[in-house]
Amino acid sequence: MSSSSPSGSGGDLTERRGIPAAKFIQDVETYLSQSGLDPNSALAFHQERLQQYKVVEMKLLAQQRDLQAKIPDIEKCLEVVATLEARKGTGEALLADFEVSEGIYSRACIEDTDSVCLWLGANVMLEYSCEEATALLKNNLENAKASLEVLVADLQFLRDQVTVTQVTIARVYNWDVHQKRVKQVTPTAIAAADS
Amino acid sequence: MQQQGSKSGSEMEVTWEDQQNINTFSRLNNRFHDLDDEIKSAKEKCDNLEDAGNELILADEEMVRFQIGEVFAHLPRDEVETRIEEMKEATCKSLEKLEEEKVSVVSQMSALKKVLYAKFKDSINLEED
Repeated sequence: MSSSSPSGSGGDLTERRGIPAAKFIQDVETYLSQSGLDPNSALAFHQERLQQYKVVEMKLLAQQRDLQAKIPDIEKCLEVVATLEARKGTGEALLADFEVSEGIYSRACIEDTDSVCLWLGANVMLEYSCEEATALLKNNLENAKASLEVLVADLQFLRDQVTVTQVTIARVYNWDVHQKRVKQVTPTAIAAADS
Repeated sequence: MQQQGSKSGSEMEVTWEDQQNINTFSRLNNRFHDLDDEIKSAKEKCDNLEDAGNELILADEEMVRFQIGEVFAHLPRDEVETRIEEMKEATCKSLEKLEEEKVSVVSQMSALKKVLYAKFKDSINLEED
């Protein structure tokens, strides 16, 4: 995965994981003449880009929420397995109250055991030894945390591109108004840029 | 938080360095809000653990039901006390770290604000809505 360098001129990174980078414009006039766009078309283009970025942001935020819910779940499972493992040598059973339905609890007597069953999803449950279960859960936790890190970095990159695009829109708009004012004999009313 | 120029008609040069400053400010602002939420939930957790510890002292049962994962396991009182102490310590330590990070983020943000306001004056708005 390429990483964006903090220094250097604009456009170090052209895209990240399918998200196109917003090119930083050094000078508005040069940009408009080079691209052959009139200010309105340029504005429309950047507004559309902004919308596309927002769509991707929504998607990434949803993924982030999912992962953030998954991680405590895995940690809880690890805790339970660790408790069972700690009890292994003692021979005493563990009494546990668990929820059968909302507000209704039942008591379980968990004998000394070497194995646990893990729910893998898709209606599949497998029996593992305590050590294997711990290893598997730890692995899942590491993967989830690593995915979350990548996701957060993606979101940061995306937000940077959104900011660059917003600033570009403001600059093109300001440049356009400035040009119009210079051309007009009578001063026009100054309209603030849309947020 | 608006970062676009709010005043039109002014010919303002924006360099790549300025853009990067604005981007950094945006990141810091987001991190600041995330930290606020995290600090809030860590404080809540700390308070809950405090209450749990107090309840434990008042209760005189030998076996206490302690939540592990989704179930409530029957554990001897001493073990529960130890566990709660450990959890309290871990939560308080993480709360401290979060507060420290928040202070650093706030100071970085105000430093950037100074730089950006100096260059752009009225053309930039860095305050919360």
